[in-house]
Amino acid sequence: MQITGMLWGRKLLDLVEFPHSEVRGPELSVDEIKDMIKRHGEVFIKPLFKGGVGKKGKSGLIGRAKNISEALREKERLYFAEHVVNGYANKSDGVTFEAAVPAEYEVYFSISESTEFRAPTMTITHHGGVDIEELEKSKIKQVPFDPLTGLKAFHVSNALTDLGAPPAIISPLVQNLPRLWDLYNNYGMVQLELNPIRMMGAKGRLTPMACDFKCMFDIDDPAWKRLDLPPHVFASDYSEFEQEINQLRTYQGQSDVFVINDKGSITAPTFGGGANAMVTELLGEAATISSDFGGNPPYEKMNEISKITFNYWLKQSNVLFVIGGKANNTDIYETLRAIADALRDYFQKFGPKPLFVVVGRGGPNLIRGMAYFRDTLDQLGIPYRFFGHDSAMSEVINYALSINDWMKSGGAGEIKQGMGIK
Amino acid sequence: MHKSGVGEFPYYVGINSLAELATKDDRVVVLNILGKESSTVTPVSHEYSGGNVVFGTGPGKSGLSLPTKIGKIPVYNSIKEGMLAGHKFNSVVVYLPPSGVKDGVAEAVRANPDLKKVIVLTEKIAVKDSRIMRAICQANGVDLFGGNCLGVADSWNHVRIGGALGGSHPEESLIKGSVAIFSNSGNFTTTIAVYLSTAGWGTTTSVSSGKDVYIQYGPKEFLYALDNDDRSKAAILYCEPGGYYEHEIQSNKPLVACVVGRWKARLTKACGHAGSLAGSGDDAFAKEKWFMDYFGVDGIYTPQKPVFSRKGALVTNIAHIPEALTRVMELNGVKSDFEPKGSLSLKCWFGSNQGLGLPKELDLPVVEAISPYNEQIAALEKHVGAQFRRDTMKDASGASMMDPVTQVSKLHNMSILDLSQKSLEANLVFALTRQHPDAYGEQLANLVLNGYVNQHGQPTLAAAEAAREAGSSPNIVTASAVGIVGKKSVQKAMDAAQALLELFQYEKVQDPQQKVDISAPLKAAEKYKDVLLTSGDEACAGKMMECLKKAGSSVFISFVEAFAKQEKMHPTVDALFAAVWVTLGWTSLKGKKITKSTLVRLPWYSRIYSTIVGVTAPAERHQKDGFCGVKLESLVTQSFTKTAFMALLGREPSENELFEFKVLLGLIITNGPGTISAQGAKGAVSADGPEQPDRVQVNKGFMGFLTHTGFAHGGNGYEAAAFLVQQFKDTALKSADDKKHGINLEEIALNYAKQYKAYKDQQKVIGNLEYDKIPCVNHPIFKGKEVNVDPREEFVNKLFQEKNLPNVFLDFYHSLVEGLFKAKASKNVYCVNIDAVIAVILLKMVWKDYRAGKLGENEIETASFATFLFGRMIGCAAEIDDHTNRGRNMDTRTAASKCVFVA
Repeated sequence: MQITGMLWGRKLLDLVEFPHSEVRGPELSVDEIKDMIKRHGEVFIKPLFKGGVGKKGKSGLIGRAKNISEALREKERLYFAEHVVNGYANKSDGVTFEAAVPAEYEVYFSISESTEFRAPTMTITHHGGVDIEELEKSKIKQVPFDPLTGLKAFHVSNALTDLGAPPAIISPLVQNLPRLWDLYNNYGMVQLELNPIRMMGAKGRLTPMACDFKCMFDIDDPAWKRLDLPPHVFASDYSEFEQEINQLRTYQGQSDVFVINDKGSITAPTFGGGANAMVTELLGEAATISSDFGGNPPYEKMNEISKITFNYWLKQSNVLFVIGGKANNTDIYETLRAIADALRDYFQKFGPKPLFVVVGRGGPNLIRGMAYFRDTLDQLGIPYRFFGHDSAMSEVINYALSINDWMKSGGAGEIKQGMGIK
Repeated sequence: MHKSGVGEFPYYVGINSLAELATKDDRVVVLNILGKESSTVTPVSHEYSGGNVVFGTGPGKSGLSLPTKIGKIPVYNSIKEGMLAGHKFNSVVVYLPPSGVKDGVAEAVRANPDLKKVIVLTEKIAVKDSRIMRAICQANGVDLFGGNCLGVADSWNHVRIGGALGGSHPEESLIKGSVAIFSNSGNFTTTIAVYLSTAGWGTTTSVSSGKDVYIQYGPKEFLYALDNDDRSKAAILYCEPGGYYEHEIQSNKPLVACVVGRWKARLTKACGHAGSLAGSGDDAFAKEKWFMDYFGVDGIYTPQKPVFSRKGALVTNIAHIPEALTRVMELNGVKSDFEPKGSLSLKCWFGSNQGLGLPKELDLPVVEAISPYNEQIAALEKHVGAQFRRDTMKDASGASMMDPVTQVSKLHNMSILDLSQKSLEANLVFALTRQHPDAYGEQLANLVLNGYVNQHGQPTLAAAEAAREAGSSPNIVTASAVGIVGKKSVQKAMDAAQALLELFQYEKVQDPQQKVDISAPLKAAEKYKDVLLTSGDEACAGKMMECLKKAGSSVFISFVEAFAKQEKMHPTVDALFAAVWVTLGWTSLKGKKITKSTLVRLPWYSRIYSTIVGVTAPAERHQKDGFCGVKLESLVTQSFTKTAFMALLGREPSENELFEFKVLLGLIITNGPGTISAQGAKGAVSADGPEQPDRVQVNKGFMGFLTHTGFAHGGNGYEAAAFLVQQFKDTALKSADDKKHGINLEEIALNYAKQYKAYKDQQKVIGNLEYDKIPCVNHPIFKGKEVNVDPREEFVNKLFQEKNLPNVFLDFYHSLVEGLFKAKASKNVYCVNIDAVIAVILLKMVWKDYRAGKLGENEIETASFATFLFGRMIGCAAEIDDHTNRGRNMDTRTAASKCVFVA
């Protein structure tokens, strides 16, 4: 759950009265653009991506215009621009017009949770406007601070002094930056980054103007809901399937899912964060989803999750692969019963389909759970193999992959025939 | 701001050695002790640790307690209250919901200055709360563990604090040894311990760290304490992407690190562990490099390419941990703790190919599971037959359904179109056993179904005749007879079925036709002598045995014979009758498709089937030694479908007629659980109370079905037949399968269509919108196209064309829908629906007799109704059995609040 860019960033900054450049959305008329250029001399035109998409500048996706014809040309170029990040193509839907802020100094500022200090930490440099990773360490100051008292003026002042920042920028930053802790702390953020903050104004009195914005929210902290942001802001973060599963998100039992390959052919309800990491890695592109349904989910929740998962993925799947290690406190009878019942429901609703079931699991009530699942599969006529926790998980995964290959090369047809499906 | 602790950490750490992490001296308080998870897990921890939990809290729950095998754990409203009661503790375990965790920790730290450890199990804690908890604990010198962890355990001290490491049987996994475990995954903490034992390594201290954004007790603190723990000779670190916790680690002891989650670099949001989301430079690749640099190796350890040093090895698969550790320790001159226990090779505990031939390499055999699971699996073998969950089944069924898209109904997941190609006897067996019998099974079914069809001299026939005489409809005639087929009338056969079940249920008999050793059941059969055998010689039983032997062999029939021989007695007819039905139901029972009680009730259903078909024929067709003119000896070997035809029409069918009759019956089997007939059957079962299946009267279930048919439901097939009679009575049509009938069907159809158009227009003019509709054309689903087709009718029509079975009435119907369109009586070409198929088959069967004056229109109506009952008997038998197995007592009633009073 991320927000990047100033269209929504400025609204959040307004909550703590942090100054920012003038930012307008795609609705701006030609006359309004002209007026904006007239007032500021220059505007930046940036494509609007949903979610967290960075490195636009490096990819040539920031336009600048000093007259209306340039502005309109850049608007046309960037309105539906495509931006590939980490192999994923993101499609822009609109542009923002952001006033140019002439400044001598550009500051980088962020607050995040440091796993090194294990405390909230401010990162600051007056050599901003570039990727922070590209700067020498000596030019950056990281300051962990007490979360009970928050970010204080002296943290900022000391850090800038240590960095040898120009005296002119210290006072305005000391006055303004601590406010950002309120934004970070009160609305459930785990990361807040302003880069650059341009120090605008005459030499005697500078004002920090946020010119780009990025933040990430903690999904487990309901505080972000106070912002009343429209759901579409986060829409690109989740597929329909993920959104449906997310509605079941409670602290009782996990329900984390991620679509790996919407053309995959092994659907693997996975139990435990460790198993999730391992199984997804070894299944690779054969998997439809990556999931973690561990944490002893109650029957009703597991059944609901399974139904949703099957509705989305079972049709295309050759193998239903239920996998986890030796559970500590997850009642295997409850989870396997919930999955078996959901599978039965699926067959009742959509009719039988060729499927092979592979289970690898250990934990409390294991045999009772396996027996229930076995009986269901026998009744549905689905072939299966179940392994206990004394079979290496990686071997069980390889077995599921081999079954998938066999299904692809005619096995599915044989099962179909065996089930009498026409 | 933090207190000063051990080592040179930029934060407080209080644990000096792993030996201090979970000790016998630790005294524990559990917050929210009576919560779902805690109340399951805490007693196991308490018992394993010798009673280390002093009390638990739960607001408003003071005075309650949590029972454990070694005594009750008291519960107080708050920590303060527990302390006032005199309890002392140094550790707190938190099972509070996420929003309450921070406050719980604050309360514990504030209330107890002696507090040293807090272990947070709760998952999905807000990051903000995590940092605040940490700050509170740091300022007060308290070590914090978690959240979303499974706590800590020590195999040497036999103590576990918080969570459930080792599950419900910690001794199985927490085996004393020399390896410490630190794992981001709670599950893998235990799984790794189990894996280590396969290479002979046991554990000292196991730490489930959790993998939230904040790992409160991290690897660096763990390794510091490892170095100071004399018991631990090495450690396993299981790590996932995200965070710099493992960056620049240092230890004096060998380590095996397992880093998993390269694919997580693709994630833009957490999946699985909340903290397992890489930022910059802390993804799985980066972590692998940190460890490789530390170990001084240039690759990942795999069995194929073992790369390791004295300092340790990096793996990316937890299954490689035991081997990697052994190799590293060999280099350090350290041997494993004990002999390896088991292996990690693939061991299949349960498996079935469902009759398919899997490639050899995939066809893994089922092997005996490790103890104690093998004993549990052995106990499972004692669970014979299906067990269904009971639920309200008023409008639900585990037997039938109608596909809302195709409108094709299914019974036991098989469409009526497919069922219509099976014989009546096969479908009658299928309704109850959920699988069709093979040729041998059909012979057995024919034998027993025909064997009881003749009702000569029986009260059933008298009752049916009385009802017939009184002018009752065919359903009431049969219901009157079925009412007499009470439980007592089949009790002996059911007792015999029960005896066979008890004798054979644990024997390795999957297929009754296989030759198996029956010496054990023969030895145990003594107590069933009275149920299965008689000292007198039943002539009928002898003949039956003869017929059964001719048909083939079944272990149950052979057993009854052998048992009689052993005891020098004779089998009873009921024993053979039961043996037949146990044979027919056995593979379904073993395949868990049916319950044991269904198997025992099968003879009852069988007698009712025979009775319904039998009493349809008037009394004069029941002779002492035959039925409809066929001697019993011949009757028992013929198809029951043929018998049903004869009962209906009093004559033998031709081969083609038999085929068409079979199709006709198959199409009527079911229309889902919502039909009135099914509802009648289900209501009858529900009222008897299916939760005690022995109390359910099967014959009453059939009476429910029969009384819930009538002139509108079941008898309406005649409406279409009457319509066709009207169209053809003035023609010269002699036989409906005469291709050269010489009748201009299109002309008759068009003329009728024009008449109908005129009638329709006239009725509309006078404002009557309830004008008569033509039966069997158009359908609420299959409409709206230029030319409409009911796929079910299309299927049967095609089937008959392939079999070269012409039907002039069906041809007429097709001409009619076109005529209606031409005459502008319809906007498009209506479909001929499935009811037409039923009507035209029936009319074709009776047309010759009708023409010859042997049958009147009343008889046609009766035959039409009775045909419906025969077909629907199959579906309703399935509903009765299904509702008996799945339903709840009185579950078909409607709540008073949903009933409406009409003034």
